[in-house]
Amino acid sequence: MSKLRLAHVCLRLKRGRPIVNFSILAILITTGVAAFSQETQDLSERPVPILTGSAGYFTNVTAGENALVPIVMPVVLVPLGERWLVESRGRFSAEFERPKGGDGPYGGTVDKDLDYLQVDYIANPHLTITAGRFLTPFGIYNERLYPIWIRDLQVTPLIFPIGTGSSDGGMLRGGFSLNSSVNLNYAAYFSAASTVTAFESDRSTGGRVGFFFPRPRIEVGASWQKLLQEDRTQSEGVHFAWQPPSVPLNLRFEYARGHFGSGYWVEGAYRFSQIPLWNSAMRRTEFVGRMQQFFAGEVSAPSDGEYHLPHSNVQQPDFGLNYYIKDGLKASAAYGRWLGKHNYNVWSLGIAYRFAVPLGILEPQ
Amino acid sequence: MKFKLIVLLILIFAFALYGSAGSRNRESANTAVIQPNASADARRAEGEQRFRTNCGRCHAAPHKFPPRMMATIVRHMRVRATITDDDMKLILFYMTQ
Repeated sequence: MSKLRLAHVCLRLKRGRPIVNFSILAILITTGVAAFSQETQDLSERPVPILTGSAGYFTNVTAGENALVPIVMPVVLVPLGERWLVESRGRFSAEFERPKGGDGPYGGTVDKDLDYLQVDYIANPHLTITAGRFLTPFGIYNERLYPIWIRDLQVTPLIFPIGTGSSDGGMLRGGFSLNSSVNLNYAAYFSAASTVTAFESDRSTGGRVGFFFPRPRIEVGASWQKLLQEDRTQSEGVHFAWQPPSVPLNLRFEYARGHFGSGYWVEGAYRFSQIPLWNSAMRRTEFVGRMQQFFAGEVSAPSDGEYHLPHSNVQQPDFGLNYYIKDGLKASAAYGRWLGKHNYNVWSLGIAYRFAVPLGILEPQ
Repeated sequence: MKFKLIVLLILIFAFALYGSAGSRNRESANTAVIQPNASADARRAEGEQRFRTNCGRCHAAPHKFPPRMMATIVRHMRVRATITDDDMKLILFYMTQ
């Protein structure tokens, strides 16, 4: 940047609003640092923009009602320099159902959502600064297990709406080793209220802290969220995850409590890779079991939005089978039993695929 | 209120810049700690171990992508799953070999 241009920018900064000016200055300086850093990196190792994400198609049968559920969740990743990342995930999903009575063609609307559109700045090994629209860091499901190619059961947990969703604002997060046997990870955020279409969010603050023990592969953590509008309620949660090193088993547990109730889910997923019989098929097969309960609070949760809490006490056992056909492609089937004021079966059958394609040249010319 | 916001922004920015400068020294120190005389095989083995420990917590192992794609994916996962800096480097090394 020439001296004349820099002086012109400084002159304009003097006249403008301080917060905006400061942000512009910060971006200019940090971008300069990033650009400088990039020059030192080998071209063949420089990250390239990517289009990734998942697509799936499921048939759900809930209390005898069929629903055809196609879903596409594209993710765009644009790395800038050595420390910046712009990332975004959209979600296009639908639940096509027949009219009441069971006759007629399947129909419905396609929901279009923007889960996140954020800029990350990896400031140092301990801190990443995030700004924009991001997944609210509460528990482990929303941020880590939500993509359909990752989740072991396609039906989301009953308590999923507590504390989760998306937020608009800023976040500080990171993970680092406290010593050789434990890693600390954390996230703290502030969100502004927004009613802008596709960017809806509440004014809230909160965070999550977790301790990961690499040797036994155990993680324990806690989350907290405070709503800074309306009833100014708060939510708390704890999570636990364990992947025993000697057994192909994933155990996960979450408990959350909010204004509209509390609940938990505990899930185990076992891969049959240690079974010698038909090993080529068995090692691709995974059995999943989940138990969950929700205890309704005195105030009923609103029923708007894609995900909402039950209005009464519910418990739901689920069982499922996943078959990993090839990398990124899996078929899944699951059965659950909703046990609340009314009891009914919940079936799900479908396929999920994860894709990843580069948006740039992979090999230097 | 604006003043407080500005002070907060300045503090965050100063912390970020301090970290950026300091991390270069720490990164080189960390590298020395992780791989004192470590061969590529040893780093690869350690990278595989860290991959299973960190990434395997949530999803099955993906196949290896080209190095430039892998660099982006690992950066994304570093932010998403709050993977440590050391783990990220070793996982990237393992996944690009």
